[in-house]
Amino acid sequence: MTETILAVDRVTKRFPGVIANDAVTVDIRRGEIHCVLGENGAGKTTLADVLYGVYRPDEGTVTLNGEPLELQTPGDAIAAGIGMVHQHFELVPPMSVVENVVIGTSASQWLDLSEVRGRLNEFFRNYDVEIDPDAEVGRLSVGEQQWVEIFKTLYFGVEVLILDEPTAVLTPQGVQELFRILRRMRDEGLTIILITHKLKEVMELSDRVTVLRLGKVVGTVNTADVQMRDLAQMMVGREVLFQFDKERSDPGEPVLEVDGIHLPSVTGRGSLKGLSLTVRAGEVVGLAGVSGNGQNALFDALVGVEKPSSGGIRIGGVDTAELSANRIAQLGVASVPADRIAQGLLMDFKVKENLVLGRHRSNPFSRGGLLNRGAIDGFANKSIEGFDIRTPSASQSTRTLSGGNLQKVIMARELSGEPKLLVAHQPTRGLDISASEYVRRRLLEERDRGAAVLLMSEDLDEIFQLSDRIAVIYDGRIVSKTTPEQADLESLGLSMAGADTVEAGSA
Amino acid sequence: MADQVTDRAPSDPQPPDGDRRRDPLSMLFQPGAWRIEKRLVVRPWHEFVTLVAALVAAVAIIAGLVLVIGKSPADSFAALYNGAFGTRESTLETLVQATPLILTGLAAAIAFRAGIWNIGGEGQFFAGVMGTWFVYDLWGGLPAPLLFVLMFISAAVAGAAWASVASGLLVRYGTNEILTTVMLNFVILYILSYLLAGPWQSPDTFYYQTQRMADTTYLPRFFSVSRLHWGFAIALLAALVVYWLIRRTTLGYEIRGIGSNVVASRYKGIRVGTVTLATMAISGALAGIAGFGELLGLHHRVQLDIAEGIGFTGIIIALVARLHPLGVIVAAILFGALVNGSTAMQYETGIPKALVFVIEGTTLALVLIAAIVSRYRIRKTG
Repeated sequence: MTETILAVDRVTKRFPGVIANDAVTVDIRRGEIHCVLGENGAGKTTLADVLYGVYRPDEGTVTLNGEPLELQTPGDAIAAGIGMVHQHFELVPPMSVVENVVIGTSASQWLDLSEVRGRLNEFFRNYDVEIDPDAEVGRLSVGEQQWVEIFKTLYFGVEVLILDEPTAVLTPQGVQELFRILRRMRDEGLTIILITHKLKEVMELSDRVTVLRLGKVVGTVNTADVQMRDLAQMMVGREVLFQFDKERSDPGEPVLEVDGIHLPSVTGRGSLKGLSLTVRAGEVVGLAGVSGNGQNALFDALVGVEKPSSGGIRIGGVDTAELSANRIAQLGVASVPADRIAQGLLMDFKVKENLVLGRHRSNPFSRGGLLNRGAIDGFANKSIEGFDIRTPSASQSTRTLSGGNLQKVIMARELSGEPKLLVAHQPTRGLDISASEYVRRRLLEERDRGAAVLLMSEDLDEIFQLSDRIAVIYDGRIVSKTTPEQADLESLGLSMAGADTVEAGSA
Repeated sequence: MADQVTDRAPSDPQPPDGDRRRDPLSMLFQPGAWRIEKRLVVRPWHEFVTLVAALVAAVAIIAGLVLVIGKSPADSFAALYNGAFGTRESTLETLVQATPLILTGLAAAIAFRAGIWNIGGEGQFFAGVMGTWFVYDLWGGLPAPLLFVLMFISAAVAGAAWASVASGLLVRYGTNEILTTVMLNFVILYILSYLLAGPWQSPDTFYYQTQRMADTTYLPRFFSVSRLHWGFAIALLAALVVYWLIRRTTLGYEIRGIGSNVVASRYKGIRVGTVTLATMAISGALAGIAGFGELLGLHHRVQLDIAEGIGFTGIIIALVARLHPLGVIVAAILFGALVNGSTAMQYETGIPKALVFVIEGTTLALVLIAAIVSRYRIRKTG
């Protein structure tokens, strides 16, 4: 088990302005699960893309089974025996599982689908996965689609399988199922490289782990020899707080009262089927759930972009179900959207212009229909300092900021008005540990100031860390309510997966 | 290692090694090859350099065309230049040609800034002409200053109203504005044809045209030797106003906002429908004012060929100017010079005037290519 199958030797890959991989050296052993751990921007995905032939290294070499690997395209990588499953699946939803497996193979050849179907069935049986090879891929669950992606690469007979953040889209049960099968595959001789920033997964699954920071290898260690805390420190370069010293909350009056709202499905945003929820002043309510169960629709209804077809929403005692987004914001509602670039920012605008977005019509930023540039500049400079936004100047184009700084721009904008209600949807998605920590601390500060905070997140650690109460959303409804003290991961996961649960706790 | 993992069925499709270089793109990615990468930040000088390169390339292509017809490019360009800027008179005439183009260019630029594809500048220009004539027809006897004000307002309102047909459909029903604005160009042309064949037709002619307007309605001219009229000043003023509107007002902020990201704008409370209607009204009004200026400054009677594609050229000008209101002035003068200089070129060298359209098209294509090229850079990889 100690034979090296894939050797990465001093690979350097530069992009304009950054060195994504700086003389990275890693050896991957045959038949191991090797995690590549690092924060966002550490160069994990770049390394994977180099191994998969998406990028050519600027310097350094990669050898597979002792032979130098010269990859021009992912096709070459597959031919050499290296497969990859990306974070975003590369499947054709209206086509069947079998068709998705053979797609991309040479179209000039006569394809015997029944032979492919037979081999797929064999795969699925072998790994105890129940998928109908003739099912339409678009109708499969996200977890099942991931199977299709994995088996697609296995069908091509790869020896090394690279998975990029495979658990991001899965329920806790889905993660366990994935890990079970990955272990099986390893035991049968497959080499697995898992790209992740989740420490828990590394500890649970991997044999060895290589930590990247700022494009450089911090070290490669045997997972059994280290603690989670050690890995976190290697990853971030300093000690990390896993628990906030969270004071007990002292909730006041209800600020947000959602009463049985229905919202038909808007394209890709899910639907609500009689959802009720209360958030009081000075508490964080964590809304756990797998994405696609109505979180987007709820967010849209709360901020006023969509109007519920029935049911009521009261914020601070005012019925807001029919109010415009602008009026709702004026009631003291701040929101952090899940997709900060698509929903929260005008990327062509200057940083200072984004900092006043939504308040650009009100005093002091607008006077008589004119922008008050003095007030905007002053506010922007204050925000940049107060929220530690890393930008050369307030007039910098927003497009040039990193993900963490983009989120800080949104946080600065949304929190500056001392909101009564803060709706945060996936506020730390895609952020590195340091930025996540910052955002979470700010959310707790808002709670302590007396704001009602609704936190929607797929990250259960985050839910446990920040929430005073937890609700689980499934299929457009709240299916269970609990507190971090009472809840356990397993039952929460079952609720998220839609297993029938008795409602617990009080609204 | 398990069989199912390592086994490759003989039918397994694999790209044969020798086939690697089938894909011409992969040639670009050879070791040590030049490689194209996206820039993180596009700086103004990147854009400037590519723009200059595009114009040089345009000149080269056109020179090639001139060679093909068997003429001397140098002579032709000299004739073109002299026709456009050679004398004081020709320079002023270039500005005359540029006048309506500035306005229709601004009309397109402000709509495009909002991400609304108003291709109806031509029709809105006609609406402005018709709005002007409508007031003249009705109250032609009013004192000149009052009549001018009323005609101006009427032209702007008519252009705005015609544009609002498209934006109303867009906001209410989500109708694609590209289709509606293009189609409305034809609709208004047929309405005008009807009017010119009937109610508005001059009684003393069989032509489809109105009577000549009274001398008192002529826009004053700057110099006795040229046709340059007050419309040019109005156009320059309009460019400054549009610039100020876009940069300094909350409405301008929202226009740029919905153009940059309509979803985020909606989430942050910008009333996208209202801003869309306002933007199209302003856009239509600008095109309408162009019609006002052409009618009262040059033509003095309504005819079907009064627009001469001015509305469509405005689109090209807006794009060449990268939607910058002050850039529109420069681009409009450039295109005005082409129109003006080409007459002299035809006269002196026998090259057909129609070459101008080739020049316009070539320039547009190259400038658009330059806009994309400026976002990339080429680097040698090791």
